[in-house]
Amino acid sequence: MRLALLAPLAGLALAGATPVWPPDLGAPAVPLDNPTTVAKAELGRRLFYDADLSRDGTMSCATCHEQHRAFADGNRTHPGVTGEPGRRNVQGLANVAWFTRLTHADPALASLENQVAVPVFGTHPVEMGMSGREAELATRLGRDDCYRAQFRRAFPEAQGRIDRGTIAKALASFERRLVSFGSAYDHDRLSDEARAGRALFMRDCAGCHAGPLFTDLAYHRLAESDPADPGLAEKSGHAEDRGKFRTPSLRNVALTGPYWHDGSAPTLAAALDRHDGRRYDGDEKASLLAFLDALTDPEFVARKDLALPMTACGKPL
Amino acid sequence: MQGGIMTRGIIVKAVAIVSPLLLSVAAQAQDHMHDHAPAEPAKSAELECRAQTPPTGELAPWTSPITFAAGSTAQNAGGLAIGQAANVTLKPTPEVRYALRPEKPGGSVSFGGLIALTVAEAGTYRVALSSGAWIDLVQGGKAVTSTAHGHGPACSGVRKMVDFPLNPGRYVLQLGANGAPQMTVLVVRLP
Repeated sequence: MRLALLAPLAGLALAGATPVWPPDLGAPAVPLDNPTTVAKAELGRRLFYDADLSRDGTMSCATCHEQHRAFADGNRTHPGVTGEPGRRNVQGLANVAWFTRLTHADPALASLENQVAVPVFGTHPVEMGMSGREAELATRLGRDDCYRAQFRRAFPEAQGRIDRGTIAKALASFERRLVSFGSAYDHDRLSDEARAGRALFMRDCAGCHAGPLFTDLAYHRLAESDPADPGLAEKSGHAEDRGKFRTPSLRNVALTGPYWHDGSAPTLAAALDRHDGRRYDGDEKASLLAFLDALTDPEFVARKDLALPMTACGKPL
Repeated sequence: MQGGIMTRGIIVKAVAIVSPLLLSVAAQAQDHMHDHAPAEPAKSAELECRAQTPPTGELAPWTSPITFAAGSTAQNAGGLAIGQAANVTLKPTPEVRYALRPEKPGGSVSFGGLIALTVAEAGTYRVALSSGAWIDLVQGGKAVTSTAHGHGPACSGVRKMVDFPLNPGRYVLQLGANGAPQMTVLVVRLP
């Protein structure tokens, strides 16, 4: 698979970190009311790692979305600030800039800007616990001289206003930088075993785990619906949508376990076994797993410009 | 670990053994088990733990904590003896100057602090906490990599445990991203 080095989009391209993506994928769509800029993305990065976005200052986005796990989490689910158990497994964030459907089962969440409200202000379940505390969020960030300067640079048209909307736009701008197409698969550096696995994958898996994103972004039912989590039906209201969840991307899948919408599949092998009609002998399974392992992008999980910032406004944090 | 649970007037002794096997081996410090420290525990957790089961064994000192104030810098961090539990009063995070920036720093409304530890004998040391706060053990400006982590014994009050391989010397225990200004800490050497 060849990658094309495209003309970098402002904001997605940072010094020493020009992202590349497959030529047949095209550049990700960016909302007209939130064009990406370097200032906005850098502000979003700082916010992504700031636990002041949570009720008691203990949880940031990065608490659950850990870079070394391709911005997923190693738990089945993650509890929120009140201890309320999470409902669903934390997904990795690689290439979310291209995702037109976000989260496991909410077709209304079509933009990164809108998705921010789910963990920060959501109550089903409570994650970061800021429902009803929007004003407090602005107060906390506004106490910081550097944040005020960063918001002015990022949102000059809004005079640096710090509110729910600008916070969401900044976070979305950072998330659009989470580009991952540097795996062994992308560079066509597959072992013989992984090549055999790729053949099986294309035959059996690529119908849903499709294209360069390895997801068709559609909703499917692979098991009986769990009464505790009706999946898509919870939003659509249609009985036939019970038990349907969005196909996850398999980019960096070796790093994002456990698996399944509820994290109940502890290993990739276990997740494979849950796909009805897919039964493989030992060698076939090993080759499939070797291929899936080849979807790991080691540069993505080590990129300094996506990591916890150590400075802001030229000063140590 | 032994404890008793009162059920309809009958005391049921529950015996559990604190074992390294209960902990997950982790190549990275606290990896997936780090979670936040909720300011208010979930009601379901309270219902499940109406009766506390004091830990025993190497964690027995957990039940006899002293009062202790965390420092705001490595230089003014007070020393806590190995094997002595402490009810630690933390600082507001903005007042803390960590020796090493925590991998998961707390927000300005959270609490943290520093505690000095002196290790006399090489071995594996367990840091037990009453919350899910982020911890680092720092020596010479570098974080010691943990070898295991997990939850404490059920209903013991120990929320989190992290094991570190330590050589003799002085260390700084960094506590971060705690949701409340107080927490209990105990560092013990494992047999």
